[in-house]
Amino acid sequence: MTVDLKEKPALGRVIVITSGKGGVGKTTSAAAISAGLAKQGHRTVVIDFDVGLRNLDMTMGCERRVVFDFINVIQGDARLKQALIRDKRLENLSILPTSQTRDKDALTKEGVEKVLDELKQEFDYIICDSPAGIEHGAQMAMYFADEAVVVTNPEVSSVRDSDRVLGLLSSQTKRAESADAEPVKAQVLLTRHDATRVETGEMMNVEDVLEILAVPLLGVIPESQAILRASNIGTPVVLDQPSAASRAYEDAVRRLTGEEVEMRIAGERRPGLFHRLFGRAS
Amino acid sequence: MPGEIIPFQIRGRFLMALSLRVDVEADDAAFYERLDAQRETSPQFFDEAPMVIDLGNVPGMAEPERLRAMVAKLRERNLRVFGVQNPGAMSEEALQEMGLIPVLAGKDAPLPDARSTKRRRRAALRGVENKLVRAPVRSGQMVVCESGDLTVIGSVASGSEVVAGGNIHIYGRLRGRAMAGVHGDESARIFCQSLDAELLAIAGLYKTSETLEDTARDRATHVYLENERLCMEVIG
Repeated sequence: MTVDLKEKPALGRVIVITSGKGGVGKTTSAAAISAGLAKQGHRTVVIDFDVGLRNLDMTMGCERRVVFDFINVIQGDARLKQALIRDKRLENLSILPTSQTRDKDALTKEGVEKVLDELKQEFDYIICDSPAGIEHGAQMAMYFADEAVVVTNPEVSSVRDSDRVLGLLSSQTKRAESADAEPVKAQVLLTRHDATRVETGEMMNVEDVLEILAVPLLGVIPESQAILRASNIGTPVVLDQPSAASRAYEDAVRRLTGEEVEMRIAGERRPGLFHRLFGRAS
Repeated sequence: MPGEIIPFQIRGRFLMALSLRVDVEADDAAFYERLDAQRETSPQFFDEAPMVIDLGNVPGMAEPERLRAMVAKLRERNLRVFGVQNPGAMSEEALQEMGLIPVLAGKDAPLPDARSTKRRRRAALRGVENKLVRAPVRSGQMVVCESGDLTVIGSVASGSEVVAGGNIHIYGRLRGRAMAGVHGDESARIFCQSLDAELLAIAGLYKTSETLEDTARDRATHVYLENERLCMEVIG
């Protein structure tokens, strides 16, 4: 199986995980999506663009194996092969960690392009974990993207920041700048969704978010203890024990690869069912 | 404060003035002959036009006596001289006495070709350039249509701005700021499928989301100016 895949030319699809706002779950989602893609048999690499903070390697549980990093490769101090860390659980998943001692100015457009071009020769999916904000680091992460996953929490400030990022994706990327290229395909991934808080009106519902952002929905990830647990033990949530969150990420990954998967929203009562049961009881 | 009447209203106004740049030191009979000839080619253009004298090329003319004589002759010709560019060493009092102000602001624009009205009309038609945006206007974006109508097929997000010299049409929800008639066109209008704007303005008169009419909120709305008041009419 693996041998067959290796013979196929690499797909080389660059996907940026971005959001504008911090703390919405970009790195968790980047880890879960890249592990999910690898689990399905796709050759996948995940790159940490958050230079200076370095969280992805911890979420992936490989922080002790970092020798060379993304910035070393950009500056020519190390070869790409030396910096790539192969995941211990999935052999077709690699991590390109970033430097904690440098800052985001170390990212240059030419350097990033060179690294991505080299990765495109070997990997089907190249997942770029963007830093928060809309400054240089985030712009470098999105510039060469073919697709974007905009991670959004169901609350107004996160939605507004995501809207801002969608504007940048349609104007400040290589695809936007070249007239004959298709625009970056952007989808929204709604994270930390809590059905009970939506029902009480404390959180925005899925329809309201989509109405504002006007892009397709990649998935709805429920707020879950499983995510916190997985993060603390350094395992992407899809590789940990099954949970509502891991199922939601797996569905999102299948949609990302072009499969049609019915949208299941964990914890949400199907409309009608509740009323029917209630109606019978009374 | 409700009920209080403000006795005035201040608004910015752009106005076009002609600038007469004097290129020879002597404003003799020949000078005025040429000027009259030019005036005759397009009388409507020159009559009662506000005018500024530019003395940048003739520093020798920048003395009150000579300027006074020139202004008198120009005013005889129904040219409304109100200012001087590059007045040299002349004092502001001397200018004020002649009813002139020193002009520092403003910039040059090409004079429309007065000889061919046909060409002018075509230029005027070309001057109206409408703009169509087929994607949602995102937070932080600003879409400007200098002269003409702006049409957006999609929503206008909160934190974004749509600006037009003419009308604004939004086939979607308006959550951001919309400014129509920005060059002072009081007949400009704003149309949207659902009104939830942060700010609405026509020809500089505005309302913010707090002063929107409640009846129009979240409804398809037509916004227009009547008696210097922004009015909102629900249209569906």
